[in-house]
This record gives sequence, C-alpha cells and structure tokens, in this order.
Amino acid sequence: MPMLKLIKEVLRVGNATVPYPFVKVEVSPGFRGKPEYDPTQCIACAACVIACPPNALNMETDLESGTRTWSIFYGRCVYCARCEEVCPTGAIKLGSDFELASFSREDLTIRADFRLASCTRCGAYFASAKSLDHVLALLDQAGLPPESAEDRKALVRMCPECRRKVDLPRVKPIVQEAFDGRL
Amino acid sequence: MMTTMEKPKVGLKYVAAIRNEFGLAVQEESWQAPDQVTVTVDLNTMPAIVESLYYHHGGWLSLVAANDERPLNGNFALYYVLSVEGNEQEQAEGRENCYMVIRSLVPPLQPEFPSVAPRVPAAIWYEREIRDMFGIQPIGMPDERRLVLPDDWPADLYPLRKDTMDYRYRPEPTTEKETYEFINVEGEGIVEIPLGPLHMTSDEPGHFRLFVDGEHIVDADYRLFYVHRGMEKLAETRMTYDQVPFLADRICGICGYAHNVAYSTSVERALGIEVPARADYIRTILLEVERLHSHLLNLGLACHFIGFDTGFMQFFRVREKTMKMAELLTGTRKTYGMNLIGGVRRDILKEQRVQVLQMCKELREEVNVLVAILLDTPNIVQRTSTIGRLEPQVARDYSPVGPTLRGSGFARDMRVIHPYVAYDRVPWKTYYKESCDVLGRTLIRAEEFFESLSMVERCLVEMPEGPILVEGFNYKPYAFALGYVEAPRGEDIHWSMLGDNQKLYRWRCRASSYNNWPPLRYMLRNNTISDAPLIVASIDPCYSCTERVTVVDVRKKKATIIPYKELERYGRERKNSPLK
Repeated sequence: MPMLKLIKEVLRVGNATVPYPFVKVEVSPGFRGKPEYDPTQCIACAACVIACPPNALNMETDLESGTRTWSIFYGRCVYCARCEEVCPTGAIKLGSDFELASFSREDLTIRADFRLASCTRCGAYFASAKSLDHVLALLDQAGLPPESAEDRKALVRMCPECRRKVDLPRVKPIVQEAFDGRL
Repeated sequence: MMTTMEKPKVGLKYVAAIRNEFGLAVQEESWQAPDQVTVTVDLNTMPAIVESLYYHHGGWLSLVAANDERPLNGNFALYYVLSVEGNEQEQAEGRENCYMVIRSLVPPLQPEFPSVAPRVPAAIWYEREIRDMFGIQPIGMPDERRLVLPDDWPADLYPLRKDTMDYRYRPEPTTEKETYEFINVEGEGIVEIPLGPLHMTSDEPGHFRLFVDGEHIVDADYRLFYVHRGMEKLAETRMTYDQVPFLADRICGICGYAHNVAYSTSVERALGIEVPARADYIRTILLEVERLHSHLLNLGLACHFIGFDTGFMQFFRVREKTMKMAELLTGTRKTYGMNLIGGVRRDILKEQRVQVLQMCKELREEVNVLVAILLDTPNIVQRTSTIGRLEPQVARDYSPVGPTLRGSGFARDMRVIHPYVAYDRVPWKTYYKESCDVLGRTLIRAEEFFESLSMVERCLVEMPEGPILVEGFNYKPYAFALGYVEAPRGEDIHWSMLGDNQKLYRWRCRASSYNNWPPLRYMLRNNTISDAPLIVASIDPCYSCTERVTVVDVRKKKATIIPYKELERYGRERKNSPLK
C-alpha cells in the first residue's frame, strides 16, 4: 500500500531537476546578489568601508597624488547589504547577479579613484572633493539664512584643524556663557 | 509601558534557597534581566552550589563560560549558567523559570578550580574546553584529554586569554613526532587503511570509535573539533559588536539564524534595548521557517539511513520550497542576515505574505503525504523503535536539549520555559514522547514541522504594525547578558560581554549539539553497529557525517577501520558485514 502511494507521488511530481545552467534561474525580488557600484553617485565617504563586516570594502588615501581609492574585493563579500544600508547617496546596491566564479582573483576586484580636496587655509588634503561638494549642497538645501550659510560653507571648505582655529571667536563667548564666567 | 527592568523579578526564591543553604559563600547578586541573575560565590563552594541547584531545584546546565577578567578585576571568572525550573514542591507553589549564573573568581597566579563534573556530569565538556582555551585547570575532572585543541598545539599557549599571543606568531602546523598511538593489530586477513580525519570525501570531519562485542556496541568514544574556527576570538578582535550578527549567522549552516537571534538578544538584553513588537514577530517567523527546513532535512536523512532513498529525495525536493520561502522573505536561502542590534532589517510586505501563506498550504499537503508514506514503510518501526535509547536518568545527568531531550519524556522547550521574541504571544504546543528511542525523536520532528507551519501562518496574519528597528541606544561597556533560542536541535545559548572599544569583550556561543554529543555514547550502547549511523543522525548533530569509524572488537581484541560509506551501506542493506 505505501509503495503504491509512493509511486503515485513520484509519478505526480515527475522530474524535479532544473536544467541550470542551460536555463536562467529566476530569483525572488529582493534577492541578495553581488553589490553593484555606481562611481558617479559615490562621494568616497567610506561609510560602507566602516560598515562592511568581512572587510571586503577598502579605502586607501594617497596624499602624494591627492587621490583616494575605493575598492571592493568580491571574494570576501558575504552579501549582507550593510554597505547599501549605510550609503548616503545610493551608490552601492545589491543586484541579483550571483554567478561570480572567475579564473583570476584580479577579476573580483573593482577600484575607483577620487580626487581629494585641499584646505582653503593651509592647503592640506582633508576630504574627498565629492564629499565636500555633497556637504555644501546639503547646506544649501538646509535653508539657512544667506549670511550664516556663507560662513558655514567657508568653514566646511577648511580642514578640521583650521576649522577649529577659525571658528574659535564665535564659539568662545558661547562656551563662556554656558560655564557662567567660571572659565 | 514597562521597560524590561521594571517587570517583577523571577527566581528570587532560588537565590534565597542557596543563600539559606550556603550562607556567606553566596556573595553578591546582580540582575541582567527580570529572569536572569548572576550570583557571585566563593570558588571552593561553587561545585556544591551548582550541584544543589541542578539536582535539588530542577536546574539544567545550559552553559559554562570562562572569562579573562584580569584587566577588569585582576582575576579569571567562571560562569556556570543554569536554567533553574524548581523542584516538585517549588513548582507546585508557582512555576518560575530563571537563568541563574553562578559566577566565581579564579586567582590569576593559581589558575585552578574544583571541578563540577564529578557531581554534575553535564559539565564535563565545558570544563575540558575551559582548560584548553584558558589554561585554568579543573581539579578532579574525570576526563583529562584535550577537547578542542589538536594534540600538537603548544602546551602553554591558551588562545582565549587576553595576553595570549602576538598575532605575528605562527606555530608550525604539525610536528614530526607521532603523538597518536594507533592500535597495531596482528592477525590473518586484517587490513588497516588509514584515512583522514580530513578526507576529500567527507563533509565534516569527526572520528568515532565503537567498541563492539561481535555485532553489539559495548561503548563508544568520539573526537570532534577538527574544524574549530576560533569564532569567539574572531568576534573579540576582527569586528565590532554590531557586525557580529553576521558572523553568528555563519556558525551553522542549518540553524544560523537561531544563533543570530541568540546573539542579538543577548546584547539587547545587556543594553536594556526594547525590540519593537513587529520585529519580534518577524524574528519568530524566520526562526520557524528555519525549523521547517531543518526538520525536513532530518526526516530526509532518517529515510536515507534506513535505506529508503526515494523518500530521502522526495523530502529534499519538498524542502526546496522552504528554501524558496526563506529567499522570498530574506533575499537568500540561508545566512539570512536579517538582524541588527535593536531589531530586523527588512519588513514583510503584503506580496511576500500572500506568497508565503500559499507555500505553507502546499507544504502542509505534500509533507503530510510523505510522512504518511514514511510511517507506513514496513521497516521504519522495526529499525527505529527501541533503538538508541536515551534513558531519562542519563538525560537528567547530561542536560541534552531539543528533540533529543523531548524524546525521553521531558517537555522542555526554550520557547515555553524562557519565552523570547514573540513566543509568549503566539499559542502553540510542545511535543514530547516517552519512548526514549530514535522513533520518538523522529516523530517529534515531524509533529514540530506541522506546528511550525501553523506558527508561521499565525504570525504572518497577527503581526502588529510599527517600526522594525530601534535606532539610537546607549552603549554600556562591560554590560553582559544571556541570549537563548530553541533552535531546531535544541537550546542555543550565547553569553556576551561588551568591551570598551565597541567590540565584544567576551562571546561564549554554545550550539545545541554541544550538549547532545556527550550522552550519545550512552545511546549507542547495547545497539548493533548497523544502527550506529541512524542513532547518530537521530540527535541531528551539526555534523552527521564522520569520515571513518574504527570498530574495536573487545572480545576478539581486533580493530578494524572501515570507511564510513561502508558502515552506511551496511546500515541500509544489513548484509555483508564489513567486519568479516
């Protein structure tokens, strides 16, 4: 009796083998394939590099040539999508490509070079030019009154050291008042 | 809304009971959660306290962790975690289940402690591992062999100590000296073929040694940990505490998400984070989806080991649907990567819900047919009933977990005893059997499968609206707590202590199979060798393939090494014994 039921079930099901790779495999929406990178959107802020658990993403700065190089090594990627989650500009998103086998390790690495911006006061490199532009654009959108907006933007164009020094006259009375003249 | 710490404390009566019995040996208590307390006790009285909680107050040993707290307070610390559920009288007064962590300090210049294993056999593997990893010697421990470290590991190099090694130090991978004594057997027609334990045909390496008298197994011993990956050390050093969920996902290829939830909840408890209700429900759904695929795998393997390969293929075909379900909900078949500290990363939308409900319906019908066929197969009962008995007293002594334990008459399931995520809001049933055998464990898994389907359906329908992730919480260095989950194989429990550098200070993650391996030798006794693969598969271990098996005939004083495939074939065909 069970044999009969079994044979019926086997015949009902038929052949379950999928003829991959001779047919394309459909993946579900939201499937986690390899991260797809758009360098035009990237501002080289390195948020993805900090978030990546297996350290597949890397950022190297070359002060001599004034460039910063972003890279991904797919051999380490675990498709967790943390890079996609933390990217402020949507420059990296997981696609649906999962066929990543390759004959050489070099094929699995992608690099992108970005120019560094130099401080308007001391000339040192301190951030990628695109991330600077991004912050300036955000400040424009923030709707600050024009006078203070220009001051803010001038500060942003400086390195953190210079920024501290230049902003001190504005900050000092605020801090002194907060400490009630005890400073 | 009450925060977790405003809820009334559970387990005060057990703390009072040990204070009563042991007086000043019980020093301090600190509560990490309403049902989790850490009691610091005097080191020399610690074994008696653990024994008292274990046998006199219905305690079960969940975890033992050591921690190198020399940078914090100058000592090593031991944490014996017991799930205390009360003796008969205490249960009659009112059921209170509490995780009691018995903590004691070990002086750094005299790193030894009195072993608990002679009193509570369940502690044996934990103490061997502490000795291997920290160099803290358990005095009076019945089994002195190394558990985790290989034989040629340098003698005074203890991996989990904070000052253990300069990472540039690379000891030689092997030594020239032969450290393992093989039994050399003389005799006619005896052929020994050395294989592995790392051999290209095996999935996971482990070495079993069965001591037989003719066909009957008299005793068994096994050695595992050939692929120990050092994840606890990795989590302390290579990644921040919020990246560890992705590592936890990869502890196991079958119950990875359970480990992920156990870790995430341990940190959430330590930091006092309230996870939103919707996130709890999503976690519950994914945990049950994981249970579906895991139990189907075990049912398929059960078919395979009794020789019913068609059933094996059909179960795996149907299992593909559960993998597709996971892909729909999480974007991947396994290693779901769905947790962050504070909640989950993806929501479940209407389209997904509709499709998953449809799949649940199809699964129920198809698996019903297959389970009916399996149970009607003529030799299933004969091959599994009364085989591989785990006697209730052995179970009580060794604290196994999951279906292995529930098959011996104990209705213990973490979802009921220590509810987590949404299990206290979704009604469901615990399945247990009194038969103590392989058949009982297999039937439990089949019944749990259908119960999981119902739970997935119910959670999908009843999920509340709301956020799925808490963003913004305070990080407290050195906070610690337990996280626990009833994985398909049983209780997974993690103990995490956060460090002062956004990394973990200590992570002790104990997979469910760790508690199920020690009683396995008792389950193998008095069975025939053709039943051995089936018995091992019935605890559904995280390694179910061994590369080779050494069979030692104690009466004839003969040892034969047979490849595992041979043993498996013999288990199925029952003729042409490889011993002849």
